Amino acid sequence: MNLVGQIVEWFANPHHWRGLGGVPVRLAQHLEYSVFALLVAAAIAVPLGAGVGHTRRGVFLIVGFANGLRALPELGLLTLLVLGVGIGLVPVVVALAVLGIPPLLAGTYAGIRNVDARVVDAARGMGMRERQVLFKVELPNALPLMLGGLRAAELQVIATAVVAAYVSFGGLGRYLIDGLATGDGAEQAAGAVLVVLLALAAEGLLVLLQRRLVSPGLRAEPIGPTGAQR
Amino acid sequence: MNRTKFLLGGLAVVAVLALSACTGGSGSGSGGSPCSELVFGGPPEFQTRADGLPGISKTYGCEFKDFRALDTGGPLTVKALQDGTIQAADLFTTDPAIADRGFVVLDDPKNSFAAQNVVPLINKAKATPDVAAALNSVSAKLTTDGLVQLNRALAAPDKPDVATVAKTWLVKNLLLTGATAPGVAGIIAVGSANFPENRVLAEIYAQVLELKGFTVTRRFGIGSREVYFPALKDGSIDLVPDYTGVLLKHIQKSAPQTGADEVYDALKTAVPEPLTVLERSAAEDKDAVVVTAATAQRYGRSLANYGAPK
Repeated sequence: MNLVGQIVEWFANPHHWRGLGGVPVRLAQHLEYSVFALLVAAAIAVPLGAGVGHTRRGVFLIVGFANGLRALPELGLLTLLVLGVGIGLVPVVVALAVLGIPPLLAGTYAGIRNVDARVVDAARGMGMRERQVLFKVELPNALPLMLGGLRAAELQVIATAVVAAYVSFGGLGRYLIDGLATGDGAEQAAGAVLVVLLALAAEGLLVLLQRRLVSPGLRAEPIGPTGAQR
Repeated sequence: MNRTKFLLGGLAVVAVLALSACTGGSGSGSGGSPCSELVFGGPPEFQTRADGLPGISKTYGCEFKDFRALDTGGPLTVKALQDGTIQAADLFTTDPAIADRGFVVLDDPKNSFAAQNVVPLINKAKATPDVAAALNSVSAKLTTDGLVQLNRALAAPDKPDVATVAKTWLVKNLLLTGATAPGVAGIIAVGSANFPENRVLAEIYAQVLELKGFTVTRRFGIGSREVYFPALKDGSIDLVPDYTGVLLKHIQKSAPQTGADEVYDALKTAVPEPLTVLERSAAEDKDAVVVTAATAQRYGRSLANYGAPK
């Protein structure tokens, strides 16, 4: 039987949908690790990116920091963390957050940095304080790029959260790691399909979120002098 | 605006996920037996493979409290056993970490794990009396503890090469005697699988044959039995150090033997032409259930004490 047929059969087997090893539980675990990791990444990357973008100080530091994080090998980092602090959810979430930080940091920094200088000037001219400039003008204007960063981070984190299974946790990685260990190709392929579907679903959700959150003024085609410059 | 709704929805999702994290993962014990108190850690396939948890359950009536999928006798499993994440682990009997960390290998009196004695697998045409005598003299001196020491020597911080470690072993075991002029007795191609212990065993075979005047070609680090077994049959290599249990299973998938002598006897008849096995050594590199010293003190040093009587 070909692989596609085997995958279809795997999904059709009701045994794979029940209990602690079933698809719903594995999906929830996978989402759980991913969401925790993204929250941790956002808690670090957004304030840092906003601070640097607003003050324009330490730019070279965060660029180096973010690029350095990108270069870390994920499985090696996770193993190192587990050997250091022991098996637990903390090493998993930290290792995944490390993946989420660079795109979120770059998105936030670039978003704030690219807000039209005249808009920021106008805000100051109206008598806004620096805090108000950041929260009322820069951050809302930076939202499209920030959410772009979030989408990139989400995709990376969901795709990579399979490594949790490498250190005894659940999630969709269980199908990949267990399938590999027992030579079950259909199980591995089914796990891979599920990861792709989950990543695409999350991507779709974030696109919808982006449509709702971003101010209509930012979504419209640029007109006037700004548009002419492009 | 709908923004607040969205944020509230997001928070609700996070809360549900957090709750599911707290409620998941409770294991089921069979109640009463020591096994039901212990969380077991091992490679992912250990949960389903015949001589893994199903075998332990069948042979000893031992149902562990829970199973954590870790690595194959690697650092993650050792770490988890040491920090108490798991209380019993699948490790290899030749792993130096067992003695280094004060772990205890549980006896397996009913042979739930098949015997895995080191044995030379060789092409019959090359197994002349001289060659057989040389290799059998190595097998006679090999012990499981000796393998542990070889592995420990290989893992030393200065990363000595296998030739040095093999030579040290041969000197220590007084096999470095009676050298003849090299290269006149014939040519033998020695192969090995790609893990350190197997390489050093192959190197010991190689050096002992060189002492008997053979010219040795080394083909070390061959990926797996699926690759080197055909290579032995077609004559591209002549000799490999192998392990009785896994070798028998490779030739006869459903071989039921597990005791050291039964496995070796079955192996001798099962090995296909033009191959043969020489004498087996006492040294065994096999899976074992390993616990901490404290656990062994509490429940004993044999798996037979850990299951529920049937």
